[in-house]
Amino acid sequence: MNNAQHTARVGLFFLLGLALIWVTFETLSDGKIFKDRGYTLVAGFESLKELKQGDEVRMAGVKIGSVEQTNLAPSGRRAEAVLRIDPKITIKSDATAAIVMAGLIGTNYVGIDLGSTTAAALKDGAEIQTRVTPDINAIMSELGNLGKKLEGALGSITGAVNGDGKTPGLFQKLDKIVTDNSEKITATMANLQEVTAKLNQGEGTLGRLINDPKMHDELIASVREIKSVATDARTFVANAQAIIDHVKLGQGALGALVFDEKTATDLKSSVANLRAVSDQLAKGEGTLGKLLHDDSILRDAQAVLKKANTAIDSLGDSGPISALGAVANSLF
Amino acid sequence: MNPLTAILEGIGSTLQLLVSAAGYTPTLWRQRARFIEQCYLIGYTTLPIVAILSFFIGSVLALQAGYSMSNFGAKQFIGSLVGLSMARELGPVMAAILLTGRVGSAIAAELASMKVYQEIDALETMNIPPAKVLVLPRLAAVLVMMPVLAIIADLVGWFGGAIVSKYTQSIAIEPEAYFSVLRRFMVFEDVLNGLIKAEVFGFAIVLVCCNIGLNTRGGPREIGAAVTRAVVVSLILILVLDYFVTKALM
Repeated sequence: MNNAQHTARVGLFFLLGLALIWVTFETLSDGKIFKDRGYTLVAGFESLKELKQGDEVRMAGVKIGSVEQTNLAPSGRRAEAVLRIDPKITIKSDATAAIVMAGLIGTNYVGIDLGSTTAAALKDGAEIQTRVTPDINAIMSELGNLGKKLEGALGSITGAVNGDGKTPGLFQKLDKIVTDNSEKITATMANLQEVTAKLNQGEGTLGRLINDPKMHDELIASVREIKSVATDARTFVANAQAIIDHVKLGQGALGALVFDEKTATDLKSSVANLRAVSDQLAKGEGTLGKLLHDDSILRDAQAVLKKANTAIDSLGDSGPISALGAVANSLF
Repeated sequence: MNPLTAILEGIGSTLQLLVSAAGYTPTLWRQRARFIEQCYLIGYTTLPIVAILSFFIGSVLALQAGYSMSNFGAKQFIGSLVGLSMARELGPVMAAILLTGRVGSAIAAELASMKVYQEIDALETMNIPPAKVLVLPRLAAVLVMMPVLAIIADLVGWFGGAIVSKYTQSIAIEPEAYFSVLRRFMVFEDVLNGLIKAEVFGFAIVLVCCNIGLNTRGGPREIGAAVTRAVVVSLILILVLDYFVTKALM
């Protein structure tokens, strides 16, 4: 192999190595040297937690930049993250940044919300508002507190159930009740057993109802009967309602009586007249009154009838004229 | 000569060789043909074996990590484990070990035989210092080639891990997830540390092997002994240096 070929291969090999190193560098450092465009924002936090240089900055989940630098503020009272934001993205002045956990094991990013449409855009080097999100440690300590509370609650439940040595617990109380009343409970159970046995054998009303199909059929028939009666009653009520409605509208005699004042007045005057007539009758005034109260009229009538009877009897075989004459005699 | 004196003499002669070779650095341009040839031997011919070995190291890392990490539900982090292990440790170390086996032994054998057959003496007689024509081009070549070998070892190992993660039924992690985790947990400094380590290892191996080769005394049997010694010393040196370089780079 000649020298020129060696040289070419070595040159190619070396260039390949350089290219690979370059590609690795670009890949792992997000090409920050040559993509150092865009503007920076400063976000101050009480703690940056696991945030480190090179972590992503996302707005609504979309990557818009990266954390360029993390340091303590000159005052030493807070931590600051310098965010490099894509120049095409504008961040509103009321948008807030928070450190968000992407995974349980130390992967974080800075999440920025969209902010309002009316707010002004933040300029290069401006400070963005931040908000605090609970980190895994805070959540864990909360969980720990919750566990303690649960433990306390369970302890008191256990105490109530098992007793605390001095006062008897639920189980002891139950046990005492059962022990003290064991005879009564046994008797009750025996009774229950007897009752259920009877039921099972079809004795008694309930037993028959349960065991006898005829009873069942009758019960069903009765229920049907009751239903039909109820239907009739409903019809009746409906009719009555119709009548009442009718009356309410002032229609018909009853309606007129109830709702028409003129009818009422007429009725009143009729009643008054009737009373006057009856008063007169009672006092024996007028023909009818006299007829009712005066015996002489009755007696006169009786005499007349007697006379008429006599006249008819005396008619006999006499002719019509003599008959007429006899009538005339008898009458006058 | 007791072992301690031997070790000290070895360290001393290696440093002397380094200093004298470094003194000839300006002549490197005139020796570019030798330099290119050494680059070819050290880099280009070592590439296939480095690639194969790295692929299987990455694969077995993923396999073992998948097996043990699935016990506690962390197998989606295989990517970062394989990535970091390959870049920071296994890539450079394995490349260095292969370099020892393939290149270091060859250097030691070549220089030892040159010494035994008095070629070195002939060069010195002609006022051509061996540090200039034999050591400097090799050192320069390994400095240039070692990062290339290491980065290839890293990348091939990553891909080996990704392939195993995808096609092993008990792991079944898509390459997208694998590389996304790898990217999330790695920075370029991790890779850079690995490249620096590889550079240090390569340089040390070549220097030690040259020194042992040049210091061979006796007959042809000593050539084999020199090669063995060169490889053993290089391997020990790699692991000892590994610890200290890792610590220094942290």
